Formats: sequence, C-alpha cells, structure tokens
Amino acid sequence: MTAAGVETPPVPPVPPAPAAGAARPGRLAASAARLAWLHLRSRRGPAAIAALTACAVALRAVLHWQLTSGGAAAQQIPMIIEAGAAVVIAVTTHSPFGEAERTTGRWLPFLRLGAVLALTGAAIGLLQLGVTGVSLNDGVLTLARNVIGLTGIGLLTSLVTGGLLAWILPLGYVGFAEYALAEAWRNPWTWPARPPTDRGAWICAGAVFAVGVLAFALRGARARLADDA
Amino acid sequence: MTAVAVARPARFRPARALRLEIKHSPVAWTLPVLAVIFYLDTYRTATGLPPTWAYHASVITGHMLTYICVFGAGLAAWAGTREGRRKTGDLLATTARAAWTRKATVLAATAFWMVLAFLAETAVIYVQTAGQTTWGGPPLWPVAVGVVCTITACAIGFTAGTLFPGRFTAPIIAVAVFVLEFVGFKAVDDTYDFRFSGGSYAVLTPGQGLPHLVEAGVFYRIPPDVSIAQLIFMGGLLLVAAGLLALSPAARVPGVRGLSLAAAGGRALAVLAAAAVAGGVAASATAYSLAGTAQQSSLTGNWEIPALHDAASDRPVPYTPVCTSAAFPVCIHPAFDGYLDAVSAALQPAAAEVAGLPGTPVRAELAVDDALPAAAGTTSVYGYSGTGAGSIGGSWFGGPPGEVINAIWTQGYQQSFLFWFVSGPAQNASGNPDPAQQAVADALLAKIGAPAPDLAPPQKAGGPPVSQSGPAGAQASAAQIAAAASRFGSLSPAARRAWLTTHVAALRSGAITLAQIP
Repeated sequence: MTAAGVETPPVPPVPPAPAAGAARPGRLAASAARLAWLHLRSRRGPAAIAALTACAVALRAVLHWQLTSGGAAAQQIPMIIEAGAAVVIAVTTHSPFGEAERTTGRWLPFLRLGAVLALTGAAIGLLQLGVTGVSLNDGVLTLARNVIGLTGIGLLTSLVTGGLLAWILPLGYVGFAEYALAEAWRNPWTWPARPPTDRGAWICAGAVFAVGVLAFALRGARARLADDA
Repeated sequence: MTAVAVARPARFRPARALRLEIKHSPVAWTLPVLAVIFYLDTYRTATGLPPTWAYHASVITGHMLTYICVFGAGLAAWAGTREGRRKTGDLLATTARAAWTRKATVLAATAFWMVLAFLAETAVIYVQTAGQTTWGGPPLWPVAVGVVCTITACAIGFTAGTLFPGRFTAPIIAVAVFVLEFVGFKAVDDTYDFRFSGGSYAVLTPGQGLPHLVEAGVFYRIPPDVSIAQLIFMGGLLLVAAGLLALSPAARVPGVRGLSLAAAGGRALAVLAAAAVAGGVAASATAYSLAGTAQQSSLTGNWEIPALHDAASDRPVPYTPVCTSAAFPVCIHPAFDGYLDAVSAALQPAAAEVAGLPGTPVRAELAVDDALPAAAGTTSVYGYSGTGAGSIGGSWFGGPPGEVINAIWTQGYQQSFLFWFVSGPAQNASGNPDPAQQAVADALLAKIGAPAPDLAPPQKAGGPPVSQSGPAGAQASAAQIAAAASRFGSLSPAARRAWLTTHVAALRSGAITLAQIP
C-alpha cells in the first residue's frame, strides 16, 4: 500500500501583506475596539447596562414617591440601590471561558480594567441621571463614593467566590452600613454612613476600590464557581 | 425463551436527595457573613434595649429578619438558576423523576439552611434576653413570623431564579427584597405618625420596629392579631411562589427548553399548582383587607384587628409587685425588678424631705401603662412612671439598668416626686407647676442635692425638650423663682417644715404666690 494516490489538501491563499504605514493604526484601533466589545459581551456587559438602568429607574421612583424616611434614614434605600449597581458590576466579572481564556489572553488585565472602570463610570452616570431633578440626600458625591467603594468590595469578593457570587459581601456590608447609619457611626470604614465631605470615608472607599480593581485586573475573578465543590 | 431480569427503577428517597442538596448548598458560604452582621447589628442592638421580652423579640423581625430574607431570596435565586446556569435542563429532562421533586428538594435545602440560621440567631437572642429579664417568657409569634417569612423569601427567590436563570437574577432579587423591606419600614413609620387614626396596611410588614411603649407586653399581652395577618399574607405569597414553580415547566414549550407537562408531573400537578396560586392570591388578599381594619388600642397601645382579636388579651396581666422594705417602700412590676433598687435609692431622700407632711404618700408604685399619677393629697400612693409620662424629670426604663442608671436618671425621679408633691390637680392636667410650686420644689431639691429641672411639659421619653410655656410660667421670671427658692431654702428645717405643714394644701391649689413664700 502506497500513499501515491493521496491528494494533499489545497493550501489557502495567503492574504497579501498589508501596506506598511497608513492602514495599520486604523486596523489596530478597530481590532482593539472589537476585542473590547467581545470582552464586554462575554461578561454580559449590555445586560449589565440594562440592569444599571433599572437601578437608576428604581432610585428615581423611590425619590419621586418619597419612599425614604427623613433625616439620616433618607440615605437608607438609595444606599441599597447603589449597592445594587455595585453588585451588578461585580457579577459581570465572571468569565464563561475559565482557564482557557487566562492562558491565551495577553490583553486580559487591560480588558478587565477597562471593563470595570467603564461600568463603574456608567453606573455613577446612570444613577446620577436617574436622580436629576429630584432631591437625593447628600448628593452625587455620596452616591459616587458608595458605588466605587461597594464595587471594590465586590471585586475583591470575586477573587474568592467567583464572579457569580460576588454580590454576597457587598450586600452584607450594606446590611451593616444600614445599622451604622442608624447609629451614626463615625469610623471612616463605615463610609456609607458618613457625610459626603468626610475625607477619611473617601480614602477608605477609594482604597478599597483601587485595591479591588488592581487585584481583579491582575488576577481575574475566581474561575471555578464557588458552589462547584 | 429466557426470562430477562428487568431492573426496577430505584425508589425515590427524598431524604437522601435532600441531604445531598443540603451538603452542596451555597448557603454555607454566607453563614460567616450572616454571623458577622448578626453580631454587629442584631446582637449589639438587643444588648442596649430595656430588659423585656417584647423589646428584645422586636429585633428578631426588625433587624435579623431583614438580612436573613435578603440573603435567603438571593441564594435561593442562585440555587434556582442552577440548571439554567449549568445548561443541564435537557439532560435532567430525561430523568425518571418529575421536575418538581428535583426543584422542591433544592428549594428545601436552601430554606433549611436559612431557617436554621434564623433559629440559631433567635436562640442566641433569647438566651441573652433570658439573662437580662426578670419576668415573662419568650414570645413565639415573632419566631413563627420569621420562619414563614424566611421560607417565603426563599420560595420567591427560587421561583424567580427558575423562571429567569441569568447571572443577574440572584443579586437583583436580593436587592429588590432589601428595598421592599425598607419601603415597608418607612410605611410603618408613617403609620405610627398617624396612629390612632385608623387601620393601616403597613402592619403586614414583618419588621414593625421597637415597641413604642417600654411596657409593651408587660401590663397587657401583645395580641397575636398582626402576627396572624402577617402569617396569612406571607403564607399566601408562599403558595403563589410554589404554584408558579410547579407550573413553570408547563409554561414552557416542550422540546425547546425546560420540561414538558408530563415530566412535571402531569395534569393533576398542574391543576394542584393552579389551585395553589389561586389560593395564595386569595389568602394574601384576605390578609391585606384584614390589615386595613387594624387599629391601635388606646388602652394597650397594641395593634388590633377586629376580625382576629380576642377580647381576653385586653385584660391586664396579673402580677405580684416586688417591693423594698425601706422606710419609704417602693414597689415595681417584676419585669422591671432590675431598676427597683435604683428607684428606691432615688426616692428615699426625697420622701424623707417631706415625710409627715399632709398628703405625703406612704409608698410608691410603678404607674400602670402610661397613666399619670393621681394628684398629690388625694392618694396615699405615688405612681411613678417608667416612660416619663407625668414625670418632670423624664427618667424612664429606656435601656438595661446598667446603662441608663446614672446621676441624671436618679435626679429625674427625685424631681418628679417633689414636683408632684407640691403640685396639685391643675399641674397634673397642664404639666406646668406655678412659680410658687416651682420655687418650693427647687428649694427641696437643693436640700437633697438635686438640681432644679429644666421645666418642660410632660412628654414621652425620647421626645425633644420643650421650652417652658403656659400661664403659670409666664407670670414670673426665672430669677424671681430662683430668689424665692433661695429664700425658702435658707429657712431652718423646722421652719420650712412648719410652713409646709400649714401651707402645702394652699400651695397645691395654686393659692400661694412667690411673694408669700418666706
């Protein structure tokens, strides 16, 4: 038996080499944009934007119909909705590709970083847009501080539990923050209970966010689901 | 022809399936978080409350149940999304067991963990309460409400997770439950702002906050009306969620995704599930309408629903007062035994200052409920208050004895007693002693080392101080009253006692002016 009759498969034509110079930056930008878009889609970015929009609508409804109590308690329900936005961001950290993506994705840390920063900015923007024209207790500064701090907690949680369960610790923290708000705690680490001008609260929230974002960008959320054991 | 052994399908063993689900439940991940929140929020709150069972039980539904339901709903939704998340729907559709048995097992495992966490935390609260209270027993209605509320939250979350198996379902459900609970708290606050004005639907909120009276459940039992309405309401929601869960496979197109009606258990199950949904809606609607008839009793301060109310709960709870054997006996309800020594120590010097004068009471007793003490000179018993009502000093049992008893608290009882002694029925009605009464009381207080109070009309404890107003207070300046008090205080004890013996009746009736005080 010989292999004389075996035909070799046709070799696909090699595409012509791109002309050096003008076309290359455009293609790179398009590729980068497509990569970022695919990354966002794999993390359910569009659905996350829809969920953030729902949070903004809910916040608007709560303030419009005056469903919050007066005084310090006026911050209670907005804080929960801000936590809702943060946990939506935290849940988007889950990757459906697992380890395979980590071994091949050279740009993954930058994509994670960009996705989280973009979603956090979108969350703050959408929530602020939702309260435009109505009175939000303590204003946009507290809103932004709560969102970034709670997002930081969510990102740190995702390193341990995986992205899909990363909502547990932020909501637990908010549960405690409600108590701290009612008891007028003054510790900086209870930043949701502090006024918008409290420097220590800003430092705490910002530090948690920075550590969370950096750790998540470098390591990514835990690939194995927490309840797969 | 040979006989072929046909293996019969193994009998379904729900206990084993449940044990496996309990073992693999994700709820275990949240137990440390629940424990930390419990300590920081519920336990610390309970330790600062007055030592009565009703007060301590209020943190079970007012604090603990909040995050138990939030995490219960979220984790149940997470468990409900499992088949969708792992894309095992088609695989499991081929199994012999009906889908509802599989789903019910997962839901039961999640609810088991959450109810276990709830009961464990309740046990901690009640053990701690047992170490502080001196009378009564643990209320069980809040525990029943908490258990049903926890299971209902799990069922709602699980059903949502089953119907919408996405990655955002669990956190969104948890946040939605969180927001709904705080909206309910706001509704409860609004209801209390307009209390005595009629019924309110806000009583369906499990977390009713702290009782508004320290004596809640002490002199009168707390009727179970509201708890029963809450159980009916949440039981209805539970039925609806369970019915929708059982119907969910039938609601999908067979062969496309999910399970067929046959796999779900057949027509009988579908009919049963539809009946559960209808029954649940009816039950919740009934509870809603019952809540609309709720009224707050002006006698007991408790919410009552006429259709559910038992008139027997309006009768006072019998008790044997605990009394001191001091020169001036002081009696108290055994529920507040921890305050007795402090109240007695506060009243002894004040009572000694007026001992033997006309109208001097022979003992002091804790006033029942919110009642004002009888006018001095008309009774032999001084009815002091534990809530601040009728008390010029405003001392009350607003926390554990070890935390609230201090010099100001003690002086409050002395101020209340001496102002009550020199004031008459008019002061009892208006809350304002006239300038002469105020000057004499200030002088007597100075003799026992207590400062003159910053006078305000009687108010409920915790209320803001109100500046002096009223005709009597407007007639004399503070300087004139202080001068008269100083003048009266400079008299010898014998002269002061002699003047009081002669003039105390006139002083109480408002017939003495500042100028007539020696």
